[in-house]
Amino acid sequence: MARVFNWQIGREMSYWYPGSRPGQQFAAVFDINKCIACQTCTLACKTTWTSGKGQEYMLWNNVESKPYGCYPLAWDVKLLQMLDGQNWNGRVYEGQTIFESAPAGERVLGWRPESRDYAYPNVGEDDCAGQVDKGAALSLPHHNWFFYLARICNHCTYPACLASCPRSSIYKRREDGIVLIDQGRCRGYQECVRACPYKKAFYNPMTGTSEKCIACFPKNEQGLQPQCFVNCIGKIRLAGWLSTPDKARADNPIDYLVHIKKVALPLFPQFGLEPNVYYIPPVHAPLPFLRQLFGPGVDDAVSAYRQAPKDADLSGLLCLFGSTEKAVWRWSRQGDSVAGVDQHGAQVVRVPIREPVYVRAAFDAKYQVARVNCP
Amino acid sequence: MRTLSRLALPAVILCLLAAAGCRRAPQRTNEVVAVSQAPPLSPNDAAWNQAPEYLAKLLLQDLVEPRLMTPSTPELLVRAITDGSDIAFRLQWADPAQNDLPGSGRFLDACAVQLPKTNDAKPPAPQMGEPGRPVQITFWRADWQASVNGRGDTIRDLYPNASIDHYPFEASSLEKGSTAQKEMAKRYAPAEAAGNRRVGPRAMPVEDMVAEGPGTLAPAPSSRSKGQGVRTREGWAVVIVRPVPDGLTPGARTVVAFAVWDGGRQEVGARKMRTGWIPLLMRAGK
Repeated sequence: MARVFNWQIGREMSYWYPGSRPGQQFAAVFDINKCIACQTCTLACKTTWTSGKGQEYMLWNNVESKPYGCYPLAWDVKLLQMLDGQNWNGRVYEGQTIFESAPAGERVLGWRPESRDYAYPNVGEDDCAGQVDKGAALSLPHHNWFFYLARICNHCTYPACLASCPRSSIYKRREDGIVLIDQGRCRGYQECVRACPYKKAFYNPMTGTSEKCIACFPKNEQGLQPQCFVNCIGKIRLAGWLSTPDKARADNPIDYLVHIKKVALPLFPQFGLEPNVYYIPPVHAPLPFLRQLFGPGVDDAVSAYRQAPKDADLSGLLCLFGSTEKAVWRWSRQGDSVAGVDQHGAQVVRVPIREPVYVRAAFDAKYQVARVNCP
Repeated sequence: MRTLSRLALPAVILCLLAAAGCRRAPQRTNEVVAVSQAPPLSPNDAAWNQAPEYLAKLLLQDLVEPRLMTPSTPELLVRAITDGSDIAFRLQWADPAQNDLPGSGRFLDACAVQLPKTNDAKPPAPQMGEPGRPVQITFWRADWQASVNGRGDTIRDLYPNASIDHYPFEASSLEKGSTAQKEMAKRYAPAEAAGNRRVGPRAMPVEDMVAEGPGTLAPAPSSRSKGQGVRTREGWAVVIVRPVPDGLTPGARTVVAFAVWDGGRQEVGARKMRTGWIPLLMRAGK
């Protein structure tokens, strides 16, 4: 094993291959506070990429209800149980990553879901509500709270799928950091399915190979954001590129949210993969739970997000989410509007930070008619 | 009646003794001896009775990660027949569970035969060869056999309770079997589009490959091998018929290695039981 630096855990760690960061790293920020679990992202991905034979059960993008929802079944709690002592000392992780705790004979600490673990996505996850006039159907030993967690492949800096493949069939593209399975080389050993802690590699029983989210790389190559981003009804997602902390730029929207405002955090940083999808944590959920999910930066992230209404730049940048299909390389705020530009510096979008509000009288005096909301 | 039963008992005993005499214990050798005959494809062919048996003890693949840490299949019975052009190996091992359904978290029973590509005095490393010193491998898999035996190629053949609403490439607007329909179907099967169909319909349950060390396994430039596997009372009997390696003439010696995967124990890829090199004699004449 080589030694590599993982900034998310604030220290060096062991990894199967020497560190080699791509020229650019595809990254994304999901604002969980805005997700309504409409599953439009899930269907956008499904209809685009996984409508084939053998892909029936696959959700490269899924949205689950936390704390109890999961797809596949128990993907998170199972590994958390296997990974001992996940303690942090400030921003430095003192526990072991899944690479460092790999058992003898293995490259990664992992487990393999069974077919039936994929069989019930979202089933029963939101059933606690019951009927409005009869109160909650489910009582829990704690206050009822939940939030929706949208998940895709994290296109990790240190992918466990890539480390685990004995055939080197998985590669991380130098040009954008997107992690792909070579469909010509894969022999369907399912080592990646076993190793990925987020369980975002899937075995296709009809082609006999494993498949995964490709970050819509054909769109990415054309300067466009992935399907699950642009179809998001809640406008919770923004795709872009992430620098390492020492090279963070304030005019890079992802850098600004992750490195400068530190409002967006990685999912389970303690696993050690340096995942590149970042989450703005839900401000209403209990902090101890969020710390386990997103690491020690949660308290500051929640506090910064709560201040967003008073922070013109942060609230302005959040308005760029879901505002354009084009990838936004740089952003800037001018007064009450915020703009995004592409890699050539050409403006691709400009939006107002607050939509203008027009108040119309209920009765139109000129035409002597009552106004209604629909034609 | 009493006379009849008095005669019947010795007759039955005589028949049993005669049958036992016919089923001689197979001759065991301390190397794999390929006897000269036309190689049969069926594991149940009577010609196999003419070939001596070699008991191959299997070892854990515990040299490269991912390793197999718990021993599974302990041994393998091997017989070989050659006609100088093809060589057939009959592999038999115990495996109570038949694992031939591919799926997530499901793994497949399989076996393989490995020979050096060239018959050098010092063979390459038995762990799938080494850089510049390739080995030839012929691989048999239980799901391929099921497919050859007639199992269908739909998700319901693998998951009988699967529910499917629609495949876009089977829309009524697309003429079934048309080029447009086939091309659209291929777009949703990327491995197939890349020429790497690992499962589904196939003419033979075996695949020819070459390797120059662990992790380098690649399809052979051409595939000529044949195979057939059947369930026995204890497990599997599989025949793999492949071309004799170049330069290997009757009377010559080389080495051969075998591997077995128990799908029920999630064995796949490097997680396997295997042998080291075993001497192989190409016996000349009858």
